[in-house]
Amino acid sequence: MKAEQQLKLQAWVDGELPEGEARQVAELVRVDKEAQAIVGELRLARSILAGNEPEAKLPESPQFYWNKIQREIERLGKPEVASRPASWIFSWRRLLVPLSGVALIAFLSVLSMNLFHYTAVDEGLKHLVEVENLSEHVGSISYKSQSENMFVVYLYNKEQEAEKDPELEPMDDTLVQ
Amino acid sequence: MSQRPFSRRVSSCLLAFLLQCGSVSPTVAAELKLEAKLIWATNEEKSPDPSHKPVDPATAEKLRKIFKWKSYFVVNRLVKVVPSRGSNRFELSKQCTVEIRELEGPRVEVKLIGDGKEVHKTTKSLSRGEWFTYAGDDKNESAWFVIITELDEK
Repeated sequence: MKAEQQLKLQAWVDGELPEGEARQVAELVRVDKEAQAIVGELRLARSILAGNEPEAKLPESPQFYWNKIQREIERLGKPEVASRPASWIFSWRRLLVPLSGVALIAFLSVLSMNLFHYTAVDEGLKHLVEVENLSEHVGSISYKSQSENMFVVYLYNKEQEAEKDPELEPMDDTLVQ
Repeated sequence: MSQRPFSRRVSSCLLAFLLQCGSVSPTVAAELKLEAKLIWATNEEKSPDPSHKPVDPATAEKLRKIFKWKSYFVVNRLVKVVPSRGSNRFELSKQCTVEIRELEGPRVEVKLIGDGKEVHKTTKSLSRGEWFTYAGDDKNESAWFVIITELDEK
């Protein structure tokens, strides 16, 4: 038997079918043994349930009972702060999480600046100077005057220096107009 | 107080941290305002070129402490901004140009260009108050200097 038919049988047992359909189902039950068996089981289950369903009785009148529930709901719905005593501790606790976040961000920022911008490598690079002669005719001497805080790169003409050592000669092309 | 899950709070903090990192990095890689001066040095009292003006007494005194010449004259002075991770050219005379590039570190790469040809390159950090000087001998016992300093004002 199809599920749809079983549902119809159940509705018939519960008296929920319209008259026309109820007649058809009654005819089916009359001729079909399987339908009879299902209807029998359904009626049996119904009688068992109807006879043993616990009956809940309110300890007071229904009006008073439901009013009590409504009052309890209203009481719980009120803001929690109103029921608590006002205290500066609660105010501080409210600020604790954002303050902790800000402190953490500040700490990590300082840490990241140190990591990214002030490493030992950077400190080493501060004192590292790279000099490169881009012309084969020019040599250079570089030095740092600590007292005057001046870094000097002195250029000289290599070819003339070789000819007239030790005096450094002027470069062929003067840079001053 | 809102009862947000802990993972959302951690995510917010992490996001703020990353934004903070992002906002910090560009401030370190700042542009440089530099002054470049071309100076001519001689043992004569006056320069044969009337356009040359003597350097200020403090500069002259500082140069005399290191170099042998008595008189120092300003041939040209330029103030330019070198953009962060960029470069700028200082054409101090027809023959003398310096190209300065701002590098990571922060460091600067100073390239001396004479008559359109690259002559020398120096890469170093440039701190406030420090003078970076290119120098060389010139005719008749004179000398030239290119002095580069970072200016305080932006």
